[in-house]
Amino acid sequence: MSARQPRFNQHLLIDTTPLPDSIPKVQEVGSSSAPLLSASYFIGARCKAYNDDYMQCKTEANGKGEMDCLREGRKVTRCAGSVLEDVNKSCLEEFRKHWECLDNNNQQLWQCRKWERPLNSCVFEKLNLEKKIPGAPENETPVHLRKRQIFAHSIMTQ
Amino acid sequence: MGVPFEALLPYAVCIGMFGFSGATLSKIRAMQNGGKRARHSVDQWDRQMMDRDRRLTGFLRGQTDNVKAPAGFELSNPWRLERGYT
Repeated sequence: MSARQPRFNQHLLIDTTPLPDSIPKVQEVGSSSAPLLSASYFIGARCKAYNDDYMQCKTEANGKGEMDCLREGRKVTRCAGSVLEDVNKSCLEEFRKHWECLDNNNQQLWQCRKWERPLNSCVFEKLNLEKKIPGAPENETPVHLRKRQIFAHSIMTQ
Repeated sequence: MGVPFEALLPYAVCIGMFGFSGATLSKIRAMQNGGKRARHSVDQWDRQMMDRDRRLTGFLRGQTDNVKAPAGFELSNPWRLERGYT
């Protein structure tokens, strides 16, 4: 039989064996995609060190990262969970408006700047986390601070 | 001399028909997507995130901002398999 590419779309197997007790248990982050996208830059602001550690571990592990980088992954999960908990406690209304807007707009950040500005100022006041876009050129205003979003559908939501 | 409205009636009919079908299609899409606008240009990352949303909430477009995942979430990601040939 000649070999062909496998097509993994026919059957699902859910393996309910839990992890062994030697691995410490950590609560998974329970937010779905829109709140995570909304809070992502704040998670990046607080958890940059842990995230960079995890990415470096996965890059250097050469394929074995799933098992070898569990420790760094636990730190990443705990840090992201702490950011989400703080945002939920202090800025819940602005946070909810922003991610509801994102959910309605195909998860595109530039359509929802109107709700992002109060969220950014609230998080900066209460949690001291600032949104910075990594890799942005220094001599231009970052996209999230510009007055006019050139790709937004309507001028009301800019 | 008033506006010749009989001449503009066919335009009103055309615009009305287009508008009605557009509104109906938009309502059908919103009903299919849980009251939200449809997602477009969905790539593999978005498909994977929507699958995670379905595991978290039960709906493909459901969203929640809980901090902790429900019990059993870490075990609900299935292995995708192929039926073997013998």
